[in-house]
Amino acid sequence: MKKLQLLVPYGVLILLITMLWYELFYAKPHDIPSPLIGEQVPGFSLPTLSNDTLTPLDLQHHVSLLNVFASWCSACNLEADMLMKIKNNYHVAIYGVNYKDKREDVESWLKKYGNPYRKIGDDRNGSVAIDLGVYGTPETFVISKEGKVVYRHVGALDEKSWDEIIYPLVKKYESL
Amino acid sequence: MKAYRLLLRGLLCFFLSCNVYALTPSDEARYTSLIKEIRCVVCQNQNIADSNAPLANDLRQKIYTMVEQQQSDNEIKNYLTARYGEFILLNPRFSKLTVILWLFPFLAISIIFLIGTKRLFRAHRNQTPLPTHHYFVSRE
Repeated sequence: MKKLQLLVPYGVLILLITMLWYELFYAKPHDIPSPLIGEQVPGFSLPTLSNDTLTPLDLQHHVSLLNVFASWCSACNLEADMLMKIKNNYHVAIYGVNYKDKREDVESWLKKYGNPYRKIGDDRNGSVAIDLGVYGTPETFVISKEGKVVYRHVGALDEKSWDEIIYPLVKKYESL
Repeated sequence: MKAYRLLLRGLLCFFLSCNVYALTPSDEARYTSLIKEIRCVVCQNQNIADSNAPLANDLRQKIYTMVEQQQSDNEIKNYLTARYGEFILLNPRFSKLTVILWLFPFLAISIIFLIGTKRLFRAHRNQTPLPTHHYFVSRE
């Protein structure tokens, strides 16, 4: 019993070291879980590039992706091909929120990389991004038919995250 | 000289209109203490008062207008946590999620206290009376 008691401090030490080791090398402090998951998309109304408006009503009746992007964001260039592929091969509706951008810059960006979006809302001052809890570009939300947030992806979309996480989710919510 | 005066007046106007503190003193205090309690989610161990990140600037602006609209501290915090999660508050609120965080110190102190007193009593019981003790008693 006495011997066992002597081991307790060592046990605590090892526990602490493993916890700190995990936090240091494996934890992802920049992946903040979105509290919006399971909630209705917050209300917003944005002017689009084609003098229309983009509201959460546009996102209803079909499973859609809401992608926050900017022409000045280099990670957005990386995912541009993937978004085009999603549009052309998987026919999933993608809506864009153009974050703090200039009109002429987005237009030339869309010419260069292609336009995967059905509608692009112009979030000039970034207020809708705050409403969506966005803290960087790009971020992509999966929205259900009822207009609820199902999933949020932080960072550029790639083949792996699409095949393994997002496309299965889209299929699942499409069939509901 | 006239041009110089005009320039001076222009500068003065510029600085006055750029003054963020167009709030009443109590609201101003509320705003400054609020922005110290909100985490900058981009540069995570800074509050938005200290951060120069564009998002921190936007959030300060948002909080400023919410204070201006006479929203309470709680309303503002609820607005932010509904979008960015509890993580955005530098001072975590007491909830199901943080119950261990808040109660653990008290729990640890009481456990140490219990073990300590138990040991003390045990040590006391096993002790043979000290001579000084004996002497004191015998004098009575």
